[in-house]
Amino acid sequence: MTTAVTPLAEAVPEAGPTSGMRTWRAFRRNPLAIIAMTLMTMFIAVAIFAPLVAAYPTGSSPAILAAPSAAHWFGTDNLGLDIFAEVVWGTRNSLIVGAAASALSVFIGVMVAVTGAYFRRIDSVIGMFVDVCLSLPVLPLMILVAALAGPSLETTVFVIAFFSWPAVSRVVRSQALAVIQLPYIDAARVVGDSNWRVIRKHLIPAVSPVIAVSVVLTASNAVLVAAGLSFLGLGDPSEWSWGQILYNSEQAGALQSAWWTALFPSLAILLLVMSATLISIAYNDARDPHTRND
Amino acid sequence: MSWSTPPLLRFAGRRALRGIVTIWFAVTVTFLLLRLLPGNPALAVASPLLPQPQRNALLREYGLNQPMIVQYFKYLWQLLHGNLGVSFAQQVSVTSVIDRELPWTLLLMGSSLLLTLIIGIPLGVAAARHQGSLLDRGVQIMSVASGSLFVPSAGILLLFVFGVWLRWLPIGGAYSLGVYGFAWYVSVAQHLLLPALSLVMVQIGNYVFTLRATLIGALHEDYADLARAKGAPERTVVWKHALRNALLPITTLAGLQLGFLVGGAVLTETIFAYPGIARGIYTAVTQEDYPVLQGAFLLLAVSVVVANFLTDMTYGLLDPRVRTT
Repeated sequence: MTTAVTPLAEAVPEAGPTSGMRTWRAFRRNPLAIIAMTLMTMFIAVAIFAPLVAAYPTGSSPAILAAPSAAHWFGTDNLGLDIFAEVVWGTRNSLIVGAAASALSVFIGVMVAVTGAYFRRIDSVIGMFVDVCLSLPVLPLMILVAALAGPSLETTVFVIAFFSWPAVSRVVRSQALAVIQLPYIDAARVVGDSNWRVIRKHLIPAVSPVIAVSVVLTASNAVLVAAGLSFLGLGDPSEWSWGQILYNSEQAGALQSAWWTALFPSLAILLLVMSATLISIAYNDARDPHTRND
Repeated sequence: MSWSTPPLLRFAGRRALRGIVTIWFAVTVTFLLLRLLPGNPALAVASPLLPQPQRNALLREYGLNQPMIVQYFKYLWQLLHGNLGVSFAQQVSVTSVIDRELPWTLLLMGSSLLLTLIIGIPLGVAAARHQGSLLDRGVQIMSVASGSLFVPSAGILLLFVFGVWLRWLPIGGAYSLGVYGFAWYVSVAQHLLLPALSLVMVQIGNYVFTLRATLIGALHEDYADLARAKGAPERTVVWKHALRNALLPITTLAGLQLGFLVGGAVLTETIFAYPGIARGIYTAVTQEDYPVLQGAFLLLAVSVVVANFLTDMTYGLLDPRVRTT
């Protein structure tokens, strides 16, 4: 690996391996990170190419609650629909909800955090607000909102984003508070950069690793919460999702007799969330010079 | 004046104030959500399809014809008197509904936390003592898996294995009918085990992860080296000196996880048909019973705030530095 890098380093003497390159090298050395990345790529591919993988499950068929077989890899549900196809289409739904809710809540969380860290006068109010939000039991509130607003994909995304940004904000804020005291931020101010420019050009880039980890963790948490809402019957009933498969099985009283109706959607949730968590842990380890040992 | 107040008392005062603000915030958010979102209580209690006079009478009865700000202050005033209103669906006071359901939820959450600590602390200690070993790797992967587990998945798995296949434990409810005295307590414990274990499965990872990390840090501290130099066996260093310090972050974590635990309880109680308040919330949602929803949510928020306050106080007692900052 070092021999591959040396000629480059010789060609451009002053540019050694950048920190990003070193992180990537350490990340690749971690077998768990590679497995997690492979799984994640697979999930994304299945979500994008769902129509090529399986036909959209709709209608009903006489093969009700059939155990897994060559014809139906994951068995069939109480309407005789193929659970493999349901899990495939549910992947698309889960990833959309995860990505959208995460993008929205990370955007709000980062904005609140950097505003608080930069303008110290409003920071204590923001900090208190975030603390209060974090100590509330969120799922009952989400149930309430989802029930009132009516189940749909948009409701799920907005509800999750609305209640997830405080967690992002807390993590980003503590990091931003450390950065804001560094001399180069003062230097940028002295040079006459506007507040907004300092935040955009210096503060946000400095906390971007924390933001990256937040995006992944918030998305995987959003997948869990969305599944929870669907499991309670508060998901979009017209779209297949992993929580919806479990909800249907529970409503049909099939959970206790047909294990495959619960196992496969459960495994999909577990593998997706676990690979997201492993990727963020491996990224953190790879970034940290103490754990990287290069 | 203020310098004469004992620091712990001042700390307690600040935390109590924050708790009250949290509860007020929870009340206000629920109140506003219920009235600003599309399916508002006026629609639930008095359908627009009813004849106008009848509809107006119903709205008047529930005070829903007044301006929102008046409703809000009336609601706060009622709350201060412990009046949570009347359930739309059950026609009894919300307080009595909650009285019936809250103890079960507290029992479930409390016992799951206790079991988590009983199982999690030895696991975290073992992983930290043999850092880098196969056992340590196993414990780490297990904690990631635990954190990634979907609560209903854990519940269904346990229900399947111990309830349906092995038939060791009951699969729903909170107690057996027709048993009294000691046998009743046994049946309560039997019914509690599977739901509590589902919550253990989903939360133990965080505790083990945190404990392992802080213990590894603590074992490299000077005081641990000093104890070793004085000839203390490694077991004493771990359990007596390092663990005491590692318990502080665990206390914080317990406080932070409470909100999550409530969410887990909603899902667990649904799977096991456990008669707690979390399942009550779900039923209330399906029946559009807003007073019960409002009351249940308030009570859960209060429970979380009180528990948070208690963890903060424990923290303050354990670590003198916290009080002064």
